[in-house]
Amino acid sequence: MSEVLLAQLALGVPLGAAGLLAAVPMLRRSGKPAAAVSVLAATASLACAVMLLLGRLDGGDAVVSSARWIPVAGSTLVDVGVQIDGISVSMALIVTLVAWAVQVFSVGYMADEEDAAFGRYFTYHSLFIFSMLTLVFAPNMLQFFGGWELVGLTSYLLIGFYYQKPSAARAAVKAFWITKAADMGLLLGLILLYVFSGGFAWTAEITAEQATLVTALFFLGVMGKSAQFPLHIWLPNAMEGPTPVSALLHAATMVAAGVYLVVRCDPLFEAAEATRTAMMYVGGFTALFAACIAVVQTDIKRVLAYSTCSQLGYMICALGAGSLLGGYFHLTTHAFFKALLFLAAGSVIHAVHSNELKDMGGLAKKMKVTTAVFVVGALALSGFPLLSGFFSKELILEALFESGHWVPYGFLMAAAFLTAFYMGRVVLLAFFGEPSEKAAGAHEAGPSMLVPLVLLAVPALGLGFLAANFAAICGEAYSFHLTPTGVAASVLAVLGLVLSYLVYGSKTIGEHAFSALRPVAQLIRSGAIDRFAASVYSRNALALGAFVAWVDRYVVDGLVNASAALGLNAGRKLRAVQTGNVRDYVFVLVLGTAVLSAWSLLS
Amino acid sequence: MSLVGYLLLAAALFCIGIYGLLTRRNAIGILLSVELMANAVNINLVAFAAAHGDHLGQVFALFSTAITVAEVAVGLALVILVFRSRRSVLVDELGELKG
Repeated sequence: MSEVLLAQLALGVPLGAAGLLAAVPMLRRSGKPAAAVSVLAATASLACAVMLLLGRLDGGDAVVSSARWIPVAGSTLVDVGVQIDGISVSMALIVTLVAWAVQVFSVGYMADEEDAAFGRYFTYHSLFIFSMLTLVFAPNMLQFFGGWELVGLTSYLLIGFYYQKPSAARAAVKAFWITKAADMGLLLGLILLYVFSGGFAWTAEITAEQATLVTALFFLGVMGKSAQFPLHIWLPNAMEGPTPVSALLHAATMVAAGVYLVVRCDPLFEAAEATRTAMMYVGGFTALFAACIAVVQTDIKRVLAYSTCSQLGYMICALGAGSLLGGYFHLTTHAFFKALLFLAAGSVIHAVHSNELKDMGGLAKKMKVTTAVFVVGALALSGFPLLSGFFSKELILEALFESGHWVPYGFLMAAAFLTAFYMGRVVLLAFFGEPSEKAAGAHEAGPSMLVPLVLLAVPALGLGFLAANFAAICGEAYSFHLTPTGVAASVLAVLGLVLSYLVYGSKTIGEHAFSALRPVAQLIRSGAIDRFAASVYSRNALALGAFVAWVDRYVVDGLVNASAALGLNAGRKLRAVQTGNVRDYVFVLVLGTAVLSAWSLLS
Repeated sequence: MSLVGYLLLAAALFCIGIYGLLTRRNAIGILLSVELMANAVNINLVAFAAAHGDHLGQVFALFSTAITVAEVAVGLALVILVFRSRRSVLVDELGELKG
């Protein structure tokens, strides 16, 4: 089969599944059969992606197949189709593999849901695969934008999956409108790009100043989607959705769409020095800031959510420093180990029926497989030597080191230490130590949940060794060499793990040693930062809304009401003419005829 | 008789018709007045046709007569229906359409 056909199948089959489930309520509400349709579609999509990747192990030129879309005077505004190259193919494999694993996991995880909700859940998942691949295979930025908005929609639908719960409904709306506000930047950037270059090509040729302006606007959209400070506040709330959703959308793939955008627009960002510097500082600060918050969270999903913010900060920072491979490779490794961590956390939550770390503890004896894969994920995330995260993080830190920007470099190094610390904390609190009341009856999950976990643990463990192959697929060069930065980062990671063991494992260092930090922790835990940010946004949004409402009420509605009042009053005055007496009408008729005759005779 | 004589007759008939139209209270009277006016026009048509030696005018007069008959039929039907519901055909009493 040709590459184009494979890509179209990868896109079309999940769309067909979503369409079928949406159009046939009987099938959707039937539960298990609906899930089967969706999982089969995901499997087909995954198979296509694997075949595509196998054909591109040595890179190769991009293949574009597109049809004309949106005709404008004499030509077309934009094409729609698929662009197949190393980057889109590898991203497609990440998306379909994680999506497949998450769907299979969900069959077990969501088994307690009612049939109708179960089917609805899988309909959204099929729609998500289609949306995300639309974005990944986009041959130009306008199709990319369409996919970008579609994944935003599925994110909204899946965060609000438990829509009966007010907090989930609020979280969905919050995620939707914060990302939507940021998307205005992306949209403006697209419009400007069209004005400057006359198209939406990935490699538009514009001057450095224009590129700076366009990429700065793009970066605004990226900050929203990829949860960069200060637009990160929606991501922790997004944890209201089911845990597998958090794994797929809010850790592995959708939030990485922002990073993917920067990777795709590399030539534009290459030219925009100022934007890249801003990206380094924003990304670096987010990495450290979110890691600090993750340390004090008591909810296992929130730890992972802030960790996702932090790791996305790493990627943005790397791309800012000009290391395309570093940012993109970290996206890849992160997708696998973070999806793994979330799914393992889902397995734990499924067993103890609580998100709180204090309700866990001592699970290692009861859930051996889950514990093993969680530890693998945690070590990979911490950048423990020879696991996948180590290689990608090392690339990023080395790029920062070479860029000579010491402030973001310092941020990232400190974040590396904190990452190891908070992951060590989660592992020790959840899986070791004394079991809590709720954890006493926990037991290992069924095969539908364990198979995806084990499957994801493989790349989390070993993907680092394939870094050179990965680079070849993306058309980049890579050779591993141990640098002082890499050694330092590994030492920091190990130190972080040791410190977490001393505090939470052996209790050698009591928590009172950190009493000086308690007010800070309290402040972070209380959510005051989020509330402040939210109040700034909402105050401005409300003021704008009030203004628009005023214009609508008094200007738009005013015009409409004025014309209606004019007609009404005129009618009221003129009705006196209608006497209802036939002889009056005849008189006017005769008089009119006489006047007209006289006029025609005289003139 | 010259053409002028016919035209004078037609004008007189037309004026009588208008007078009746404006002054009659009875709906049947009004219909009759309208008939007079229509026939004044027919006389004009025939008179001019004769004066010009062209038969087209007479053809039109025939047409006009036929249409007038139809009009009277509709008009009388209306009058009958009005009379059935109101026991009166005086137009002064038909004021429902007053605005």
